[in-house]
Amino acid sequence: MSRMHVVVTGLGTAVRGLGNPGELLGDRRPGGVPADPVERLTGRGLRYKDRATKLAMVAGEEALAAAGLIGADGAPTVPGESVGTVVSTNFGNVDTVCETVATIARDTYLGTSPMLLPATSSNVVASWLAITHGLRGANLTLCNGRTSGLDAVNWARLLVGSGRVERVLVVGVEPDNPAVRHLAPEQDEFFDGAAALVLESAASAAARGVRPLAELGPYARRAEHTRAVADVREREPRAVGLWCVPEHPEGIRAPGASLGPGPVGGVRDLSELLGPSSGALGVLQCVAGTAWLAGAAPDGADDVVLASAGTGDTGRDDAAAALILTPARSA
Amino acid sequence: MTGEVVVTGIGAVTCHGGGTDTLWRAMTAARIRRPDEPADPLAVMDLPRINLVPDPDLRAARATRFAVAAAREALADAGLTGLSEAAVVLGSCMGEPGPNERERGGDRWTAPFRLASATATRLGLAGVAHDVGNACSAGGYALGMAYDMVRAGEADVVLAGGSDAYSRVALGCFNRLGAVDPDRCRPFETDRSGTVFAEGAGILVVESAAHAAARGATAPLTLAGSGWSCDAGHVTAPHADGEQIVRAMREAVGPAGGATAIGCVIPHGTGTRLGDEVESQALHRVFGERTPDVPLYSLKALLGHAGGASAALGAVAGALILRDGHVPRNVPLREQDPGCDVWLPQRAPVPLPRDRRRVLVNAYGFGGSNSSLVLEGAAA
Repeated sequence: MSRMHVVVTGLGTAVRGLGNPGELLGDRRPGGVPADPVERLTGRGLRYKDRATKLAMVAGEEALAAAGLIGADGAPTVPGESVGTVVSTNFGNVDTVCETVATIARDTYLGTSPMLLPATSSNVVASWLAITHGLRGANLTLCNGRTSGLDAVNWARLLVGSGRVERVLVVGVEPDNPAVRHLAPEQDEFFDGAAALVLESAASAAARGVRPLAELGPYARRAEHTRAVADVREREPRAVGLWCVPEHPEGIRAPGASLGPGPVGGVRDLSELLGPSSGALGVLQCVAGTAWLAGAAPDGADDVVLASAGTGDTGRDDAAAALILTPARSA
Repeated sequence: MTGEVVVTGIGAVTCHGGGTDTLWRAMTAARIRRPDEPADPLAVMDLPRINLVPDPDLRAARATRFAVAAAREALADAGLTGLSEAAVVLGSCMGEPGPNERERGGDRWTAPFRLASATATRLGLAGVAHDVGNACSAGGYALGMAYDMVRAGEADVVLAGGSDAYSRVALGCFNRLGAVDPDRCRPFETDRSGTVFAEGAGILVVESAAHAAARGATAPLTLAGSGWSCDAGHVTAPHADGEQIVRAMREAVGPAGGATAIGCVIPHGTGTRLGDEVESQALHRVFGERTPDVPLYSLKALLGHAGGASAALGAVAGALILRDGHVPRNVPLREQDPGCDVWLPQRAPVPLPRDRRRVLVNAYGFGGSNSSLVLEGAAA
């Protein structure tokens, strides 16, 4: 495994009612009828982009700007070839695909719009992120079920460690629409939003003069949640200050001894707060965890953040993943 | 990241049938295969043309079925039939479209991208399962991910490749875009007018050299390089300057001199007018004066365009070429497009020189998603 230190340098969110990433740490569910985050988008061509793409564009732009990787015009401040894109989504363009199935059945293929057809492609979200900001590095779309978000964050680390790119925009996104609701009729709540973070090597951040917000620690993906958590804790035994738990965490218990004294920042169930967030969850957890390390953690504390997604064979998932975020070291 | 990455097993399912032996026989026969018309009453379109795998059950979860069959063959080829732990990384354009497109849509939907976990479950494999949704370059990305995972020490054995099956949505979309050739898949021909989709799966056992050696695997192939890039230009069309596909190829072949060791290219070439021209010009930039001496094997002329499986099938075909030591002649061209000035051997197989036992496989997808990889044969 590469020993390269990979750090978080930018955060972004596109969640109705959420003003900034730090609000993911609050106990209050976004209420009222707040503005739809996609209203922040302007320009041509929006009519032909699906909701997942628009949500991802909002969160992605915020993260890139926060990291100083794009200017006011949205263009990259570093060579586009040095920036990769990793998107995690399980239901991203399912609305377009479902609509196309129904349209072809009803009106034959002539009823479809050529302008919408590119959105039937599984990588449409990652494609538009790259096109919008000129990101010419590796461009990867993962659809790994509930571990997908944490898998995506780890893949960003691998892309940097392998030398494929110097920085990566990671976006986790899931839309709420009738097609997605059709996929999961047993659910009564659905997440509708996106979370994004920028990862890069500590050396790259230092060279750009950007302050790291957090550092990536160990990651593991296992059939059992307990094993995934135990694996990362074995490699990073510092006390856990915040634990972001999987969806439907009932029955999930990290090994008590490996967590240390109860997390001072508590246990966060973001799916309880925002709705089951599927492929976006792991990225949301890392955004929340980074916000905690960068602002809410007790002064002088050396606690880490544990994120785990997917319940593995304890629940209804085929796997579980765990990842630790640590405080950023001083340059 | 360090460590040699080898390929110890290959498996394939194509429109010519199951098995790599079947594929090699088709490659060496180089016969023209006319597309099929799916027995789907809802496929009401001008050109319902696709090269189907000879399996009549269109209502089945075909992409998973193809992936499992190809994976079983690859594991047997690698001598890993008793394996219980391995990573599975699968690329696909449409995932598993069958259940969602059986009828008119809307009765019951399932998440389409569960190919990797479904394949791992069917094979009884514990380990990481990644579903890669990188459109038509997905299989190339999956193999590149396997390469990275082994080099990073995250896995010793990875089943990697791609699978795609008949999708009314994909076929309808390409009809609507006017991107289906009414005849057959004819990359690099003068009057080509689009592509013809195909079903299929290609799976490779990607392994750390140390792991392969420890279990006595002999004469493996090496996965010698992988390059990825993104045009970041247009959501469907390749960028006309080819800059990013050149970059992916150069990354895969390696630093100075890497291109001189390439003995064969399996191009992305799908039969679209712009795509074939841009790739031909990009090959000239990578190979320079050597370009007329580098044989291309146009796999899609034989199989059609298998979407997210196409790069994986390209890698399987590359492995077969390296094992045999010859590049088969291509499916005959009626007339080669002068705008695609590349060498497509027509008359006889071309032997791979001893110092050029490397095959470059290209795959490009919507969104300008580009991947290239290099397979290297064992010393002759």
